[in-house]
Amino acid sequence: MKIGLIDLNTGNMGSLVSAMKKLNVDVKICKSKEDMIGIKKLILPGVGAFKDFMKKIKTKNVDKEIKKLSMENVSILGVCLGFQILFDQSMEHGFTQGLSMVTGKVDSLTTINKKLKIPHVGWNSCKYDKKNPLFDGISDYSDFYFTHSYCVKEHDKKIRIAITEYDGSNFTSAIASKNVYGVQFHPEKSQFNGLRLLKNFSELSQC
Amino acid sequence: MLKKRVIITLTFNNGVLFRTKNFNPDYRYTKNFIDLWSIDELMIIDVSKRKNFKKFQNIIKDFSRNCFVPITVGGGIKDIDQVNQCFNNGADKILLGSESIKNPKLISLVSKKFGNQSIIQSVDFKKIDNKSYKIMCQSGKRLTNIDIIKLCNSYINKGVGEILLNDVSNDGSLLGYDLKFLKKISKKIKCPTLALGGAGKWEHILEIFKKTKIQAACTQNIYHFTEESILSAKRFLKKNNIDIRV
Repeated sequence: MKIGLIDLNTGNMGSLVSAMKKLNVDVKICKSKEDMIGIKKLILPGVGAFKDFMKKIKTKNVDKEIKKLSMENVSILGVCLGFQILFDQSMEHGFTQGLSMVTGKVDSLTTINKKLKIPHVGWNSCKYDKKNPLFDGISDYSDFYFTHSYCVKEHDKKIRIAITEYDGSNFTSAIASKNVYGVQFHPEKSQFNGLRLLKNFSELSQC
Repeated sequence: MLKKRVIITLTFNNGVLFRTKNFNPDYRYTKNFIDLWSIDELMIIDVSKRKNFKKFQNIIKDFSRNCFVPITVGGGIKDIDQVNQCFNNGADKILLGSESIKNPKLISLVSKKFGNQSIIQSVDFKKIDNKSYKIMCQSGKRLTNIDIIKLCNSYINKGVGEILLNDVSNDGSLLGYDLKFLKKISKKIKCPTLALGGAGKWEHILEIFKKTKIQAACTQNIYHFTEESILSAKRFLKKNNIDIRV
Protein backbone atom coordinates (compact mmCIF):
# COMPACT_ATOMS: atom_id res chain seq x y z
CA MET A 1 0.00 0.00 0.00
CA LYS A 2 1.38 3.37 -0.99
CA ILE A 3 1.33 6.40 1.27
CA GLY A 4 0.51 9.69 -0.41
CA LEU A 5 2.77 12.66 0.28
CA ILE A 6 1.26 16.03 -0.50
CA ASP A 7 3.81 18.20 -2.34
CA LEU A 8 2.95 21.82 -2.99
CA ASN A 9 6.48 22.96 -3.78
CA THR A 10 6.78 24.79 -0.51
CA GLY A 11 9.67 23.08 1.12
CA ASN A 12 11.91 20.11 1.53
CA MET A 13 10.12 16.95 0.49
CA GLY A 14 13.41 15.13 0.08
CA SER A 15 13.89 14.37 3.74
CA LEU A 16 10.46 12.73 4.11
CA VAL A 17 11.00 10.71 0.97
CA SER A 18 14.43 9.56 2.25
CA ALA A 19 12.94 8.61 5.60
CA MET A 20 10.20 6.51 4.00
CA LYS A 21 12.74 4.89 1.71
CA LYS A 22 14.83 3.95 4.73
CA LEU A 23 11.71 2.31 6.18
CA ASN A 24 10.96 0.52 2.90
CA VAL A 25 7.58 2.19 2.64
CA ASP A 26 6.35 3.09 -0.83
CA VAL A 27 5.26 6.67 -1.27
CA LYS A 28 3.40 8.51 -3.98
CA ILE A 29 4.10 12.20 -4.40
CA CYS A 30 0.75 13.96 -4.78
CA LYS A 31 0.91 17.33 -6.53
CA SER A 32 -2.73 17.49 -7.55
CA LYS A 33 -6.19 16.15 -6.76
CA GLU A 34 -5.81 13.50 -9.45
CA ASP A 35 -2.62 12.15 -7.86
CA MET A 36 -4.60 11.38 -4.70
CA ILE A 37 -7.02 8.90 -6.25
CA GLY A 38 -6.99 5.55 -4.47
CA ILE A 39 -4.67 6.73 -1.68
CA LYS A 40 -5.31 4.93 1.62
CA LYS A 41 -2.97 6.93 3.80
CA LEU A 42 -1.75 10.48 3.54
CA ILE A 43 1.06 12.57 4.98
CA LEU A 44 0.68 16.32 4.92
CA PRO A 45 4.15 17.81 5.34
CA GLY A 46 4.62 21.49 5.74
CA VAL A 47 7.45 23.90 5.69
CA GLY A 48 6.65 27.52 5.10
CA ALA A 49 4.06 29.98 6.23
CA PHE A 50 0.36 29.24 6.91
CA LYS A 51 -1.11 31.87 4.56
CA ASP A 52 1.08 30.93 1.61
CA PHE A 53 0.46 27.22 2.16
CA MET A 54 -3.36 27.55 2.37
CA LYS A 55 -3.39 29.61 -0.81
CA LYS A 56 -1.46 26.92 -2.67
CA ILE A 57 -3.56 24.08 -1.30
CA LYS A 58 -6.76 25.85 -2.37
CA THR A 59 -5.70 26.78 -5.90
CA LYS A 60 -5.15 23.12 -6.65
CA ASN A 61 -8.39 22.02 -4.94
CA VAL A 62 -6.27 19.69 -2.87
CA ASP A 63 -7.96 20.98 0.32
CA LYS A 64 -11.35 19.50 -0.63
CA GLU A 65 -9.77 16.19 -1.59
CA ILE A 66 -7.95 15.92 1.77
CA LYS A 67 -11.22 16.54 3.59
CA LYS A 68 -13.03 14.03 1.43
CA LEU A 69 -10.41 11.36 2.07
CA SER A 70 -10.60 11.98 5.82
CA MET A 71 -14.35 11.32 5.67
CA GLU A 72 -13.58 8.05 3.89
CA ASN A 73 -11.46 6.97 6.83
CA VAL A 74 -8.10 7.52 5.17
CA SER A 75 -5.48 7.99 7.92
CA ILE A 76 -3.90 11.41 7.68
CA LEU A 77 -0.72 12.60 9.40
CA GLY A 78 0.01 16.33 9.49
CA VAL A 79 3.59 17.35 10.16
CA CYS A 80 4.57 20.78 11.55
CA LEU A 81 2.72 23.31 9.34
CA GLY A 82 0.79 20.36 7.86
CA PHE A 83 -0.39 19.71 11.42
CA GLN A 84 -1.37 23.32 12.02
CA ILE A 85 -3.48 23.66 8.87
CA LEU A 86 -5.73 20.81 10.12
CA PHE A 87 -7.19 23.38 12.55
CA ASP A 88 -9.77 26.15 12.02
CA GLN A 89 -7.53 29.20 11.73
CA SER A 90 -4.11 30.76 12.23
CA MET A 91 -2.88 34.24 13.07
CA GLU A 92 0.42 33.84 11.19
CA HIS A 93 0.87 36.87 8.87
CA GLY A 94 -2.73 37.85 9.77
CA PHE A 95 -5.92 35.78 10.16
CA THR A 96 -6.17 32.84 7.75
CA GLN A 97 -8.70 30.03 7.66
CA GLY A 98 -7.41 26.47 7.91
CA LEU A 99 -8.92 23.15 6.83
CA SER A 100 -11.16 22.89 9.95
CA MET A 101 -10.71 19.13 10.21
CA VAL A 102 -9.94 19.61 13.89
CA THR A 103 -11.48 22.30 16.11
CA GLY A 104 -8.97 24.79 17.48
CA LYS A 105 -6.69 27.59 16.42
CA VAL A 106 -3.06 28.38 15.78
CA ASP A 107 -1.24 31.32 17.30
CA SER A 108 2.27 32.48 18.17
CA LEU A 109 4.09 30.70 21.00
CA THR A 110 4.47 34.15 22.55
CA THR A 111 0.71 34.20 23.19
CA ILE A 112 1.26 31.44 25.79
CA ASN A 113 4.15 33.33 27.35
CA LYS A 114 5.41 36.56 25.88
CA LYS A 115 8.93 35.91 27.17
CA LEU A 116 9.47 32.83 25.00
CA LYS A 117 12.27 33.13 22.44
CA ILE A 118 10.98 32.25 18.98
CA PRO A 119 11.42 30.19 16.94
CA HIS A 120 11.39 27.23 19.32
CA VAL A 121 14.13 25.27 17.62
CA GLY A 122 16.02 22.14 18.57
CA TRP A 123 15.44 18.81 20.29
CA ASN A 124 12.75 18.68 22.92
CA SER A 125 10.88 15.88 24.62
CA CYS A 126 7.28 14.72 24.27
CA LYS A 127 5.38 13.77 27.38
CA TYR A 128 2.48 11.47 26.63
CA ASP A 129 -0.97 12.58 27.58
CA LYS A 130 -2.66 9.43 26.32
CA LYS A 131 -1.50 6.13 24.96
CA ASN A 132 -1.59 6.09 21.18
CA PRO A 133 -0.30 3.59 18.59
CA LEU A 134 1.56 6.45 16.87
CA PHE A 135 4.09 6.34 19.73
CA ASP A 136 4.32 2.54 20.00
CA GLY A 137 7.82 1.46 21.02
CA ILE A 138 8.93 5.04 21.74
CA SER A 139 9.49 5.78 25.42
CA ASP A 140 7.86 8.67 27.26
CA TYR A 141 9.91 11.91 27.24
CA SER A 142 11.68 10.95 24.00
CA ASP A 143 13.31 13.77 22.05
CA PHE A 144 12.12 15.03 18.67
CA TYR A 145 13.31 17.89 16.48
CA PHE A 146 11.14 21.02 16.54
CA THR A 147 11.36 24.23 14.57
CA HIS A 148 8.36 26.55 14.73
CA SER A 149 7.11 29.88 16.10
CA TYR A 150 3.39 29.02 16.19
CA CYS A 151 1.48 26.38 18.14
CA VAL A 152 -2.05 24.94 18.32
CA LYS A 153 -4.47 26.18 20.99
CA GLU A 154 -8.05 25.99 22.21
CA HIS A 155 -8.67 22.48 20.95
CA ASP A 156 -10.56 19.64 22.64
CA LYS A 157 -8.30 18.27 25.40
CA LYS A 158 -9.38 14.75 24.47
CA ILE A 159 -7.45 14.75 21.20
CA ARG A 160 -4.11 15.68 22.78
CA ILE A 161 -1.70 12.74 22.91
CA ALA A 162 1.55 14.53 23.77
CA ILE A 163 2.68 17.81 25.28
CA THR A 164 6.04 19.56 25.22
CA GLU A 165 7.50 22.02 27.69
CA TYR A 166 9.43 25.05 26.46
CA ASP A 167 10.99 27.37 29.02
CA GLY A 168 8.30 26.65 31.60
CA SER A 169 5.32 26.74 29.20
CA ASN A 170 3.50 23.73 27.76
CA PHE A 171 2.08 23.32 24.28
CA THR A 172 0.38 20.46 22.42
CA SER A 173 2.95 18.56 20.36
CA ALA A 174 0.82 15.66 19.03
CA ILE A 175 -2.89 14.97 18.49
CA ALA A 176 -5.08 12.09 17.35
CA SER A 177 -8.68 12.72 16.38
CA LYS A 178 -10.15 9.51 14.97
CA ASN A 179 -8.20 8.92 11.74
CA VAL A 180 -6.54 12.35 11.76
CA TYR A 181 -3.12 12.62 13.40
CA GLY A 182 -0.77 15.55 13.76
CA VAL A 183 2.67 16.27 15.18
CA GLN A 184 4.32 19.65 15.69
CA PHE A 185 7.86 18.24 15.41
CA HIS A 186 9.62 16.82 12.35
CA PRO A 187 9.69 13.00 12.57
CA GLU A 188 11.74 12.83 9.35
CA LYS A 189 14.48 14.79 11.16
CA SER A 190 14.24 13.10 14.54
CA GLN A 191 16.52 10.09 14.09
CA PHE A 192 15.37 6.72 15.47
CA ASN A 193 12.34 8.08 17.33
CA GLY A 194 11.05 9.89 14.28
CA LEU A 195 11.61 6.97 11.95
CA ARG A 196 9.77 4.73 14.42
CA LEU A 197 6.83 7.11 14.51
CA LEU A 198 6.62 7.15 10.70
CA LYS A 199 6.80 3.36 10.70
CA ASN A 200 3.99 3.24 13.27
CA PHE A 201 1.87 5.51 11.08
CA SER A 202 2.53 3.38 8.01
CA GLU A 203 1.49 0.27 9.94
CA LEU A 204 -1.69 1.69 11.50
CA SER A 205 -4.65 -0.45 10.59
CA GLN A 206 -7.51 1.34 8.91
CA CYS A 207 -10.26 2.21 11.38
CA MET B 1 12.90 21.01 28.23
CA LEU B 2 14.62 22.30 25.09
CA LYS B 3 18.05 20.68 24.72
CA LYS B 4 21.36 22.34 23.88
CA ARG B 5 22.71 21.28 20.50
CA VAL B 6 26.03 20.11 19.13
CA ILE B 7 26.28 20.94 15.44
CA ILE B 8 28.93 19.55 13.12
CA THR B 9 30.13 21.99 10.50
CA LEU B 10 31.63 20.56 7.34
CA THR B 11 33.43 22.86 4.93
CA PHE B 12 33.91 21.90 1.31
CA ASN B 13 36.52 23.36 -1.03
CA ASN B 14 35.85 22.56 -4.68
CA GLY B 15 33.82 19.53 -3.65
CA VAL B 16 36.45 18.18 -1.24
CA LEU B 17 36.00 18.09 2.52
CA PHE B 18 38.49 20.44 4.21
CA ARG B 19 38.89 21.95 7.62
CA THR B 20 39.56 25.67 7.75
CA LYS B 21 41.88 27.97 9.67
CA ASN B 22 41.22 31.70 9.73
CA PHE B 23 38.66 31.12 6.99
CA ASN B 24 41.07 29.40 4.58
CA PRO B 25 40.99 25.72 3.62
CA ASP B 26 43.80 24.18 5.60
CA TYR B 27 43.66 20.44 5.85
CA ARG B 28 41.95 17.79 3.80
CA TYR B 29 39.75 15.17 5.40
CA THR B 30 39.66 11.73 3.94
CA LYS B 31 37.99 9.19 6.14
CA ASN B 32 34.36 8.88 6.80
CA PHE B 33 34.44 10.11 10.36
CA ILE B 34 31.04 11.62 10.83
CA ASP B 35 28.65 9.77 13.04
CA LEU B 36 25.39 10.94 11.53
CA TRP B 37 23.38 9.22 14.25
CA SER B 38 24.70 11.10 17.29
CA ILE B 39 24.92 14.67 16.06
CA ASP B 40 22.03 17.07 16.58
CA GLU B 41 22.39 18.93 13.31
CA LEU B 42 24.66 19.09 10.32
CA MET B 43 25.91 22.27 8.67
CA ILE B 44 27.50 22.06 5.23
CA ILE B 45 29.35 25.11 3.92
CA ASP B 46 30.95 25.72 0.54
CA VAL B 47 34.18 27.67 1.11
CA SER B 48 35.48 27.47 -2.47
CA LYS B 49 36.86 30.73 -3.86
CA ARG B 50 35.24 30.00 -7.20
CA LYS B 51 31.89 28.40 -6.50
CA ASN B 52 30.62 25.48 -8.50
CA PHE B 53 27.04 25.55 -7.29
CA LYS B 54 25.93 22.41 -9.13
CA LYS B 55 28.78 20.29 -7.80
CA PHE B 56 28.10 21.50 -4.28
CA GLN B 57 24.39 20.67 -4.63
CA ASN B 58 25.29 17.07 -5.44
CA ILE B 59 27.10 16.85 -2.11
CA ILE B 60 23.95 18.09 -0.37
CA LYS B 61 21.83 15.50 -2.16
CA ASP B 62 24.22 12.76 -1.09
CA PHE B 63 24.17 13.74 2.56
CA SER B 64 20.42 14.22 2.72
CA ARG B 65 19.77 10.65 1.63
CA ASN B 66 21.37 9.21 4.74
CA CYS B 67 21.00 11.91 7.32
CA PHE B 68 17.93 12.08 9.54
CA VAL B 69 18.83 15.24 11.42
CA PRO B 70 18.37 18.78 10.12
CA ILE B 71 20.81 19.93 7.46
CA THR B 72 21.80 23.56 7.02
CA VAL B 73 23.41 24.59 3.76
CA GLY B 74 25.43 27.74 3.10
CA GLY B 75 28.43 29.45 1.60
CA GLY B 76 27.96 32.20 -0.93
CA ILE B 77 24.19 31.93 -1.36
CA LYS B 78 23.19 34.95 -3.44
CA ASP B 79 19.55 34.72 -4.51
CA ILE B 80 16.18 33.03 -3.98
CA ASP B 81 16.78 30.70 -6.92
CA GLN B 82 19.82 29.19 -5.19
CA VAL B 83 17.82 28.95 -1.98
CA ASN B 84 15.08 27.02 -3.82
CA GLN B 85 17.66 24.57 -5.14
CA CYS B 86 19.17 24.03 -1.70
CA PHE B 87 15.75 23.15 -0.27
CA ASN B 88 14.91 20.90 -3.20
CA ASN B 89 18.14 19.00 -2.72
CA GLY B 90 17.55 18.29 0.96
CA ALA B 91 18.43 21.38 2.98
CA ASP B 92 16.19 22.06 5.96
CA LYS B 93 17.68 25.46 6.64
CA ILE B 94 19.95 27.77 4.78
CA LEU B 95 22.86 29.76 6.13
CA LEU B 96 23.06 33.28 4.76
CA GLY B 97 26.32 35.22 4.93
CA SER B 98 27.35 38.79 4.29
CA GLU B 99 25.20 38.85 1.14
CA SER B 100 22.45 39.93 3.57
CA ILE B 101 24.37 43.19 4.21
CA LYS B 102 24.66 43.89 0.49
CA ASN B 103 21.20 42.67 -0.45
CA PRO B 104 18.87 43.23 2.54
CA LYS B 105 15.79 42.01 0.65
CA LEU B 106 17.07 38.44 0.45
CA ILE B 107 16.10 37.59 4.04
CA SER B 108 12.49 38.73 3.68
CA LEU B 109 12.13 36.95 0.34
CA VAL B 110 13.26 33.66 1.86
CA SER B 111 11.29 34.07 5.06
CA LYS B 112 8.04 34.75 3.20
CA LYS B 113 8.37 31.57 1.22
CA PHE B 114 9.98 29.19 3.70
CA GLY B 115 9.39 30.85 7.08
CA ASN B 116 11.79 32.49 9.57
CA GLN B 117 12.76 29.14 11.03
CA SER B 118 14.41 28.21 7.75
CA ILE B 119 17.09 30.90 7.93
CA ILE B 120 20.29 30.94 9.96
CA GLN B 121 22.13 34.21 9.48
CA SER B 122 25.89 34.14 9.94
CA VAL B 123 27.48 37.13 11.63
CA ASP B 124 31.23 36.97 11.03
CA PHE B 125 33.27 38.94 13.56
CA LYS B 126 36.93 39.43 14.30
CA LYS B 127 38.73 40.56 17.43
CA ILE B 128 41.04 43.46 16.59
CA ASP B 129 44.14 44.32 18.68
CA ASN B 130 42.82 42.25 21.55
CA LYS B 131 40.11 44.74 22.40
CA SER B 132 37.49 45.70 19.83
CA TYR B 133 35.30 43.50 17.67
CA LYS B 134 34.51 44.18 14.03
CA ILE B 135 31.96 42.68 11.64
CA MET B 136 33.51 41.20 8.53
CA CYS B 137 32.05 40.69 5.11
CA GLN B 138 33.04 39.15 1.77
CA SER B 139 34.13 35.82 3.28
CA GLY B 140 36.13 37.58 5.96
CA LYS B 141 38.06 39.81 3.58
CA ARG B 142 36.65 43.19 4.52
CA LEU B 143 36.21 44.82 7.93
CA THR B 144 33.23 47.08 8.60
CA ASN B 145 32.19 49.44 11.36
CA ILE B 146 28.68 48.04 11.76
CA ASP B 147 27.44 47.61 15.35
CA ILE B 148 26.98 43.90 16.01
CA ILE B 149 23.79 44.08 18.13
CA LYS B 150 22.16 46.56 15.76
CA LEU B 151 22.99 44.29 12.85
CA CYS B 152 21.55 41.21 14.59
CA ASN B 153 18.35 43.06 15.49
CA SER B 154 17.88 44.24 11.94
CA TYR B 155 18.30 40.65 10.74
CA ILE B 156 15.68 39.43 13.24
CA ASN B 157 13.23 42.13 12.13
CA LYS B 158 13.68 41.11 8.51
CA GLY B 159 12.90 37.49 9.39
CA VAL B 160 15.83 35.26 10.38
CA GLY B 161 15.24 32.40 12.81
CA GLU B 162 18.69 31.89 14.30
CA ILE B 163 21.99 33.74 14.36
CA LEU B 164 25.37 32.08 13.99
CA LEU B 165 28.08 34.05 15.79
CA ASN B 166 31.11 33.16 13.75
CA ASP B 167 34.45 34.08 15.29
CA VAL B 168 36.81 34.48 12.34
CA SER B 169 39.90 35.26 14.44
CA ASN B 170 39.34 32.04 16.37
CA ASP B 171 38.58 29.81 13.37
CA GLY B 172 40.71 26.70 13.60
CA SER B 173 42.55 27.86 16.74
CA LEU B 174 41.23 25.07 19.01
CA LEU B 175 41.77 27.49 21.93
CA GLY B 176 38.14 27.61 22.98
CA TYR B 177 35.25 29.95 22.26
CA ASP B 178 35.52 33.65 23.12
CA LEU B 179 33.34 33.21 26.21
CA LYS B 180 33.36 36.76 27.50
CA PHE B 181 32.21 38.26 24.22
CA LEU B 182 29.71 35.53 23.39
CA LYS B 183 28.18 35.80 26.87
CA LYS B 184 27.61 39.52 26.43
CA ILE B 185 26.23 39.22 22.90
CA SER B 186 24.05 36.12 23.32
CA LYS B 187 22.26 37.76 26.25
CA LYS B 188 21.14 40.64 24.05
CA ILE B 189 19.96 38.73 20.97
CA LYS B 190 16.26 37.85 20.93
CA CYS B 191 16.46 34.69 18.83
CA PRO B 192 18.37 31.43 19.36
CA THR B 193 22.13 31.86 18.86
CA LEU B 194 24.80 29.44 17.63
CA ALA B 195 28.55 29.80 18.13
CA LEU B 196 31.31 28.73 15.76
CA GLY B 197 35.08 29.13 16.04
CA GLY B 198 37.56 27.88 18.58
CA ALA B 199 36.31 24.58 20.00
CA GLY B 200 39.26 22.24 20.55
CA LYS B 201 38.01 19.93 23.28
CA TRP B 202 34.77 18.89 24.93
CA GLU B 203 35.41 21.22 27.89
CA HIS B 204 35.10 24.19 25.54
CA ILE B 205 31.59 23.09 24.60
CA LEU B 206 30.73 22.53 28.26
CA GLU B 207 31.97 26.04 29.12
CA ILE B 208 29.93 27.74 26.45
CA PHE B 209 26.72 26.03 27.63
CA LYS B 210 27.48 26.74 31.30
CA LYS B 211 28.52 30.36 30.90
CA THR B 212 26.53 31.81 28.00
CA LYS B 213 23.02 31.73 26.53
CA ILE B 214 24.30 30.16 23.31
CA GLN B 215 21.85 27.42 22.23
CA ALA B 216 24.09 25.43 19.95
CA ALA B 217 27.84 24.84 19.74
CA CYS B 218 29.19 24.35 16.24
CA THR B 219 32.51 22.69 15.64
CA GLN B 220 34.46 21.23 12.78
CA ASN B 221 38.05 20.69 13.81
CA ILE B 222 37.56 18.91 17.09
CA TYR B 223 36.50 15.65 15.50
CA HIS B 224 39.54 15.66 13.34
CA PHE B 225 42.06 15.73 16.16
CA THR B 226 40.43 13.62 18.81
CA GLU B 227 39.68 9.95 18.72
CA GLU B 228 36.59 10.55 20.80
CA SER B 229 33.21 10.01 19.27
CA ILE B 230 30.43 12.57 19.30
CA LEU B 231 28.42 10.24 21.47
CA SER B 232 31.11 10.26 24.16
CA ALA B 233 31.17 14.07 23.97
CA LYS B 234 27.46 14.16 24.60
CA ARG B 235 27.72 11.73 27.49
CA PHE B 236 30.40 13.99 28.97
CA LEU B 237 28.10 17.03 28.65
CA LYS B 238 25.18 15.17 30.17
CA LYS B 239 27.30 14.02 33.12
CA ASN B 240 28.10 17.67 33.69
CA ASN B 241 24.41 18.56 33.89
CA ILE B 242 23.90 19.97 30.43
CA ASP B 243 20.49 19.16 28.96
CA ILE B 244 21.45 17.37 25.82
CA ARG B 245 20.03 14.56 23.68
CA VAL B 246 22.10 11.41 24.07
